[in-house]
Amino acid sequence: MFLALKELKYAKFRYVMMTTIIILIAWLVFILSGLGNGLATLSAATLKNIDAEYVVYEETAGATFAKSILSENLQDDLEKQKNVDKVAAFGASTIAVGKTKSKDADSKEDVALLGVEPDAFFMPEVIEGEKLSYDNKKGVVINDTLKEAGYKIGDILLVANSDMKLEVVGYVKGETYNHLPAIFTVLENWRDYQYAAPGSDNDTDKAVQAFFLKAPNLEDPSTIDKAVKDVETVTKKTAINGMPGYKEENGTIMMMLAFCIVISAFIIAVFFYVITMQKTQQFGVMKAIGASNGFIGKAIVAQVAILSVLGIVIGIVFTYLTAKILPEGMPFDLEPTLIITYAIVLLIIALLSSIVSVRQIVKIDPLTALGRVE
Amino acid sequence: MALLSLQNVSKSYKEGASTVQALKQATLEVEAGELVAIIGPSGSGKSTLLSIAGALLQMSEGTVEINGMNIVHLSAKQLASFRLKELGFILQTSNLVPYLNVLDQLLLVKKMGGKVTKDDKEFAKQLLTELGLSDKFKKMPNELSGGERQRVAIARAFMNNSKVILADEPTASLDSKRALEVVKLLAKEAKERNKAAIMVTHDERMLQFCDHVYRMEDGVLTQQS
Ligand SMILES: Nc1ncnc2c1ncn2[C@@H]1O[C@H](COP(=O)(O)OP(=O)(O)OP(=O)(O)O)[C@@H](O)[C@H]1O
Ligand SMILES: [Mg+2]
Repeated sequence: MFLALKELKYAKFRYVMMTTIIILIAWLVFILSGLGNGLATLSAATLKNIDAEYVVYEETAGATFAKSILSENLQDDLEKQKNVDKVAAFGASTIAVGKTKSKDADSKEDVALLGVEPDAFFMPEVIEGEKLSYDNKKGVVINDTLKEAGYKIGDILLVANSDMKLEVVGYVKGETYNHLPAIFTVLENWRDYQYAAPGSDNDTDKAVQAFFLKAPNLEDPSTIDKAVKDVETVTKKTAINGMPGYKEENGTIMMMLAFCIVISAFIIAVFFYVITMQKTQQFGVMKAIGASNGFIGKAIVAQVAILSVLGIVIGIVFTYLTAKILPEGMPFDLEPTLIITYAIVLLIIALLSSIVSVRQIVKIDPLTALGRVE
Repeated sequence: MALLSLQNVSKSYKEGASTVQALKQATLEVEAGELVAIIGPSGSGKSTLLSIAGALLQMSEGTVEINGMNIVHLSAKQLASFRLKELGFILQTSNLVPYLNVLDQLLLVKKMGGKVTKDDKEFAKQLLTELGLSDKFKKMPNELSGGERQRVAIARAFMNNSKVILADEPTASLDSKRALEVVKLLAKEAKERNKAAIMVTHDERMLQFCDHVYRMEDGVLTQQS
């Protein structure tokens, strides 16, 4: 610590440059993870928001909503199962809505039409306007980002390629599904759209796509599959991974992050290595007068730790400043836990990379100090 | 009893197929309070001898005893702490740590062994004052003259109160006036503090301060006075 601090003070410029590099790397990692996380949230915010542990699909659907058709009549059966607290049915379709019958794509919005029971346990809070109710079957509550597109309470929405009309009754916040803003409607109404073609519901009575289970005490979901005919129960995480494109998208983002982190490890290691190599003669002298490898190694690790912590903290500050000036629509989402995780990962990587330098110290022969005029 | 004793020390370097016999059966004893000089032409083996005496280099044959301790069987790690405790080195120029001030240069030696006490600080100041550096405690090496830097190096060598002081051409980068000053101080400190000191030098004028002079020629060490 003694050597580390004294040297940082003495060779300010060199170490300011070094810290700058760490700041830039940390900044890059945080921005990237924030954007990646934002993107992932966007693709399945509604599912992530739902406070449920399990999702029940049709047995043959492979845990994807679009392929699954179940009868809402199963609800009673599911509710009777042991350790299941609450059950709610769900259905999702992608539709385009507009306020006029225009063919112009610009005047329409792609949205996710989500069918739910108005009293479903996971129904998000309506932040403005009225809740869903069977009194107004055509009523929808829409994600508040649609406000910016000009949709207000009371507006009538025309569904493209259908003669269906919807009426905006309220807003919810932060609800997106497959990257699309979500609009919630009662199941019956959703069913009218989704299964408009005769026979498309495989003649299922009151067809839905899936049920969400609130069952914190349920250990083994396969007990449900045994008790109820023709269903498959999976965890919510599996359900989210089953969203079209979700896994691939997340994989891409994680890949980018991983590369970013691995490359930063190399950059940091190389810079510290070069700095250490420049001090070979100096360390040789110290070893000659009796410094152990540990003494010098500790100084180097301390230096790396100080610079890394400093760089990472400033990087975090920069990240939040950047997040502030990012445009509204940019999906940026970075929770403190994620920041701390990546900060620790970066710090560990920096410290590991300093091992390369410390190994070099061990190799320095104290003899280099003797009999040399530099 | 001699504080530093080398008995029949030989050293050969392997270079490819051939071996260079850098040191041939050198025997040397230095008593407490003595300053011994080693002179000789370039490449004759002076630094090699000093490196062996300084536990920096393994000899091929012979024994080295420092302060009554045979160092042949010590590991690299033990050697480092042995050097720290028992040996003081004065090397050629630019061997101060560039980012430490004069006082910290001395305290660094104490840091290597653990903690720095108040007494250590006082001792460091006392040493520096004896070497005429009382007004330079807070100066950085680049703010000092070559002679001042070498005096700091001398003070550093005495800092751990080790019994044996080794100096390899400590005056090589100094003009003769400053060189004389530095050697005079080295001799004085060695005497007053009862150390065994060896100095390698090219400069015959330095010999007036030395108790004994050895000459090295092609790896053979002979006593001159
Ligand atoms: N690491 C080594 N490998 C091989 N040969 C070496 C090595 N170190 C020194 N030598 C050889 O050993 C001999 C003695 O070298 P040494 O450095 O002891 O000379 P010196 O008397 O200190 O010379 P100078 O006055 O120039 O410093 C030289 O011939 C040198 O080439
Ligand atoms: Mg030499």
